[in-house]
Amino acid sequence: MSSPMLPRERAEYSAIVDRPPLKLPDGARVAVWTIVNLETWDISRAMPRQVLTPPMGQPLLPDVPNWGWHEYGMRVGVWRFFELFRELGVQCSAAVNGKMLEDYPRIARGIKEAGWEFLPHGYEQMPMHKVEDQPAAIRRTMDVIEGITGSRPVGWLAPGMTQTLETMDHLAAAGIKYTGDFVHDDEPSTIKTVHGPMVTVPYTFDMNDITIMALQHHEGKHFYERGVDQFEQLYKEGEKRAKIMAIPIHAYISGQPHRFVHLERLYRFLKRPGVVFMSGAEIYEWYKKTAPQMA
Amino acid sequence: MPMQPRERLAYSAIEGRPKLKFPDGVRMVIWPVLALEEWDISRPMARMVISPPQGQPMLPDHPNWSWHEYGMRVGFWRMKKMLERVGATPTVTLNARVCETYPQVVQACVDAGWELNAHGYEQIPMHKLDDQRASIIKSMDMIEKFSGKRPRGWFGPGLTQTFDTLDYLSEAGVEYIGDWVLDDEPVTLKTAHKPVVALPYNFEIHDIVLMALQHHPSDMMYVRAMDQFNCLYAESAERPKVMAIACHPYLSGVPHRIGHVERTFKEVLSKPGVVSWNGAQILDWYLAQTK
Repeated sequence: MSSPMLPRERAEYSAIVDRPPLKLPDGARVAVWTIVNLETWDISRAMPRQVLTPPMGQPLLPDVPNWGWHEYGMRVGVWRFFELFRELGVQCSAAVNGKMLEDYPRIARGIKEAGWEFLPHGYEQMPMHKVEDQPAAIRRTMDVIEGITGSRPVGWLAPGMTQTLETMDHLAAAGIKYTGDFVHDDEPSTIKTVHGPMVTVPYTFDMNDITIMALQHHEGKHFYERGVDQFEQLYKEGEKRAKIMAIPIHAYISGQPHRFVHLERLYRFLKRPGVVFMSGAEIYEWYKKTAPQMA
Repeated sequence: MPMQPRERLAYSAIEGRPKLKFPDGVRMVIWPVLALEEWDISRPMARMVISPPQGQPMLPDHPNWSWHEYGMRVGFWRMKKMLERVGATPTVTLNARVCETYPQVVQACVDAGWELNAHGYEQIPMHKLDDQRASIIKSMDMIEKFSGKRPRGWFGPGLTQTFDTLDYLSEAGVEYIGDWVLDDEPVTLKTAHKPVVALPYNFEIHDIVLMALQHHPSDMMYVRAMDQFNCLYAESAERPKVMAIACHPYLSGVPHRIGHVERTFKEVLSKPGVVSWNGAQILDWYLAQTK
């Protein structure tokens, strides 16, 4: 078997100024793509993220404090999201570990009732590099979702956005049409796999609560401030070409009361003319229709 | 034995040093530096915005590769328009390999008349190169071939250098570096060949340090730069001051930061006697002063 493609071979360099502009539906300037990440954290392993290290700093198992920190998001935080986004009519993609749907059927029901997209987020919350059988894990995650919704999911967002050089080919073979794992643009793009083209929908680390809060340790209000800055620049540029603003959030981070107030403030700010709230699947469908030569 | 930094440059207090003088009408110089890099997917990424779940670094590191790539696809073009709006003329310091991997970007810099400065071949520390001398010559040659002009300046990747690096740089034709952040004025460094001038660069008004390492909010570029500027501007009544502002497209070129970078340049360049010069201009002024 020949060696897998490198990212540069899948996604040739392209300068945004050299591409014809895309246009959003109904004259909108910015499409806001909200991704609610919902995971399951296995108590037998190291936790994916930590808010608190143990006394003397050495990681210990089981890590109950950080497990409980995440569990708060599932018991309490996510229900704040459901209520806010229902009130504002914000369409979301729920990025879900397959196993999360099995471990938390109550949340699976909540997502279904909210009418959000089910976006596969790996079977468990660990890097794809550590998954022994990637095709099986991808298929299993899609099967669990199909069991709930009755249809095959079209998108993929990897745990921690990780991928090996082969992952995109496995995803295409499994029938995945778009991925959020390339944060390389403001617009969707089409990349190569050995099983045909794949669309990238622009995700970001710049408006991601893991990056802003858990890794960079900003204050709660910085999420709002950065969100306004991000939006105003994209809105200005959105006069000439379609702009996608991704906002990836996690229930255990943005679902905390002291942060949720700023998240709510940001969404009330974003709810204005010229802005549409779309799921990843809706952005993919729009891109396929608008730029058929590219998709 | 190569020279130690102290042997290349004797200690000197800024107090009591003979004064340099800017041309009439110039009181202070802003030196914008824009860095363009090549991040090789086969190695750990130069910087990381996200660590993988459970924290252990993994290769390939696609998320962070793709984070940097945004700067080249989108961020650079946004920054280029911004720099042109505010009338800032940057020194573009680039990994020579960028000429091959992102020729559109380098061509746009050449077309804009921006100075090209060599930033190594790829974004890895000088300490890790098997043959520094060959790598430096290759970098200088590649940029000269692409642009028709041999770069006069150099920034080490991550500002790194070993004790020998300056001798190789001088031999390859480098006239100035930005790697020594030890003064407000240019200084002349001894090498085994011709002397090399160290221009006053800094790690303070620098988006990697501010944003990627110290994790400040987006507006801190503006807040800190204005504090820095106000101090230097006041002192520039007495002696010439240079203030470098260092930007990377994957950091300063993202939507939530660009506005703060723009108002920084706009505000400092609007003050009487403040001009934007590139590295070569600062070098030529300094050489004429010290002749």
